Amino acid sequence: MDMNIEVQFKVNHQHVKLHIPPLCSLNDILRDHLSLTGTKVSCGIGRCGACTVLKNGQIVNSCLLRAFQLNEVEILTIEGLGEENLDPIQRALIEEGGFQCGYCTPGMILAIKALLEKHPHPTQEQILEGLSGNLCRCTGYGGILRAVNSI
Amino acid sequence: MYLNRDSTGENWRVRPDGVEKVTGSLKYLTDLSFPNMLFGKILRSQYPHARIKFIHIDEAKKLKGVHGVLTYKDIPGLNGFGILEPDQPVFCYDKVRFIGDAVAAVAAESKEIAEKALQLIKVEYEVLSVVDDPEQSILSSALKIHEKGNILHRSSFKKGNIEEGFNNCEIIIEETYDTPRQIHAYMETEGGVVVPNKDGGITVYMGTQHGYFDRFQLSRILNMKENKIRVVSSPMGGSFGGKDELNVQPYGALLALYTGLPVKIHQNRNESIRAGLKRHPMRITMKTGADRKGNIFAHEVYIIADTGAYATLGVSVLENAVENAVGPYRIPNIDIEGVSVYTNNGISGEFRGFGSNQAVFALEGQLDRLAEKLNMDPIELREKNIRSMDDCGPLDQTIIPSDGAKETLNAIKQSNILRMTKVVSDKWKRRGVGIAITMLGSGLGSGIPDQGAGRLSIGKDGKIIGAFGGEEVGQGILSVIETLLMNAFNCGSDDLKVVIGDTDLVPHSGSTTASRATTMIWLAIEKMKESFQSHILQHVSQLIGVPKHQMYLGPGGIWSDSRLVLSYSDLGNQLNEPIEVLVEFPYPQSNDVKQKGRYLFSFAAVAAGVEVDLLTGKVMVLGLDQAIAAGPVISPMGYLGQIEGSGVMSIGYSLMEDCQMEKGEYTTENFDTYLIPTICDIPPEMNVYAIETLQPGDSFGPKGIGEIGTVAVAPAIVKAIHDAIGYWCNRIPVSREGILQAVEKERGKWI
Repeated sequence: MDMNIEVQFKVNHQHVKLHIPPLCSLNDILRDHLSLTGTKVSCGIGRCGACTVLKNGQIVNSCLLRAFQLNEVEILTIEGLGEENLDPIQRALIEEGGFQCGYCTPGMILAIKALLEKHPHPTQEQILEGLSGNLCRCTGYGGILRAVNSI
Repeated sequence: MYLNRDSTGENWRVRPDGVEKVTGSLKYLTDLSFPNMLFGKILRSQYPHARIKFIHIDEAKKLKGVHGVLTYKDIPGLNGFGILEPDQPVFCYDKVRFIGDAVAAVAAESKEIAEKALQLIKVEYEVLSVVDDPEQSILSSALKIHEKGNILHRSSFKKGNIEEGFNNCEIIIEETYDTPRQIHAYMETEGGVVVPNKDGGITVYMGTQHGYFDRFQLSRILNMKENKIRVVSSPMGGSFGGKDELNVQPYGALLALYTGLPVKIHQNRNESIRAGLKRHPMRITMKTGADRKGNIFAHEVYIIADTGAYATLGVSVLENAVENAVGPYRIPNIDIEGVSVYTNNGISGEFRGFGSNQAVFALEGQLDRLAEKLNMDPIELREKNIRSMDDCGPLDQTIIPSDGAKETLNAIKQSNILRMTKVVSDKWKRRGVGIAITMLGSGLGSGIPDQGAGRLSIGKDGKIIGAFGGEEVGQGILSVIETLLMNAFNCGSDDLKVVIGDTDLVPHSGSTTASRATTMIWLAIEKMKESFQSHILQHVSQLIGVPKHQMYLGPGGIWSDSRLVLSYSDLGNQLNEPIEVLVEFPYPQSNDVKQKGRYLFSFAAVAAGVEVDLLTGKVMVLGLDQAIAAGPVISPMGYLGQIEGSGVMSIGYSLMEDCQMEKGEYTTENFDTYLIPTICDIPPEMNVYAIETLQPGDSFGPKGIGEIGTVAVAPAIVKAIHDAIGYWCNRIPVSREGILQAVEKERGKWI
């Protein structure tokens, strides 16, 4: 018996149609089925933000979203950002030292993007709240804050 | 110099791996896929301590999509690994000693099938009682975890006459300190892919901090010549010491060889925490005495470290704790005893700071308590006892001359944090400040082979290639190499290619650990640069007829009289074989120490300011400044990032992080119960002050700074809490309950 379902959605403006188990996570879909490994996986339970993507412009943990929840949604991953030229967020992180190992970086960038779309001129409090779901073990967040403040 | 973008000007260079990292295009080794790749999973023990009676794998083997199920019977070579002592079985056969012990591994066509196959393996155990308290484990009556007994290692250091020393003391402080089992919490968990090669060998794409040592350990396990194993060990999504030891490489390798197909293993967070290394929990008792003027005469220390089930580098961690229990102080009478004990509590091992964090928390705690008893300023007490430029090292070994201890202490005295206002409008909040200092050695220490090497070459592609056996864990080794090569040859980054982390391509230059890589690479380039330049100019002189001594290397190629005479790419085109220089040398060590001691040291002083909430017990770190003396700053962005990152990791160590276990089982298995600092937990004020002086006689250049920023943070924070509310906390992480109890004890004092 075929337990798979058909889902259709958009990833980085490209149409995607998949026949997959309904409980397959968006993170597995991106990394394993679509080879979009820019989205990382770290805790698997929505606590670290390494797998952050934008769903219809909203910040989500791709490890928590399942295939059956994806019909007709638009997903933006790190690969969909700065395709031609680097996004100002990406440039700022490079210039201010906003990453080291880089594993939290794709998720962090999308969290910053969601933050700046909601608050184009965020207060310090809004920055802290907006990025509180994205763990970085390397930088101590100093470079990340300097980057966000420089944009 | 306060390090920041403005103060460092054009030296503020961006990372060479920046674009790949911010676009997500960088392939970490756990991102790799290969055609026909299988997925591997490891069955870990069900109990922290048990005898294995039988392992049933037939059902798992029969499952459709399973290509291999392996146990101890399938190991061609040594069933063991461990950097110093291979006492950890690849697959357990007679007993399991911790909850992460491996019993079997499977390779299947999907992760789901592999998972299912694990469930079909039935292991019959005879459960043994759990030895989870190091102080019990050390007793002769304790159940033996290993045949040889439960003591991994003893390390001691004695100097002067401790009894006489205490007889001369007017003030004696005796305290016991406890430190937690910290998780490295690198964001990328262990894993990668192992690919079988046509010649019967393998390529291992898995992160580690010492590719060549993985190769050696794998050759022992696989009974395969080392030259048939290629280890690609970089880049990594963090390590902090946690990926120094082998982790899943043996299972990937065995499964790939058995199935003849590429096998990917990527542990999930729970698997990573279950099987992975942690920071050693230590209980440290210190008795320290001084006269009324604050001259410390005697210092007695007992350290008991919980090393968990297997050795890995537990021996060296203990030795480093012993070295750091003396610190940058001149004390005439010392008696230190350390013991590292096996238990069934996971595995403790290599972790940034490497035993110094625990010892310095205790040592600096002693200094602060002594200062209080003496009614003396804590800085003044330290100044009274601090080492001078030419003093010996902590173990009385000869060390590189440095005045770093005094320089950093003097620098931190200027920190604004120490002058922060303590008046708060909220009557339920109190503020305090504290300082702490430390010195930390680099390199593996005397008596341990510690190889340095490097290779410079230029070939057909016209790039100056620098090849070193380092790994990029995030620390910025690529920036350091690029900057050093640009400085050495006055060339541009486009003229360079940096090669690291691949045993087929780089010379054996030791581990990327122990804050050693920057110095090692600097030394290698210093040793090679003249000869490399001379070889190139010799060749170019023959090609274009300009005398060798009139030419020099520069941006884009070879220059003479301020004019480019031959580009590197034109040179490359005309080379029949590459021009190459290789150097091999030992990392600098002390020759006059009886036990493991270091030769090269860097120094740090920390100032912390905190605000304590009397109603909730919450401690907020308002400011954290660090002054570091580690020679010239090569990569300002990397240096600043390492010290800030170390500081915040250590705020976690001081206030939040403890990987708790109950009867040998983890109760904190993921980031829902094990909390590390978020962006909301960092101090609004963080500054890094770099002291770059090298003393005459120090020809060893820049020192590594990957660890030192973690070492003295906890005691500074704990002292700041004491300054705020008068509470001495001997156990980290400082608990809110502890603070509330302390506040409650003096109920009337607060309003």
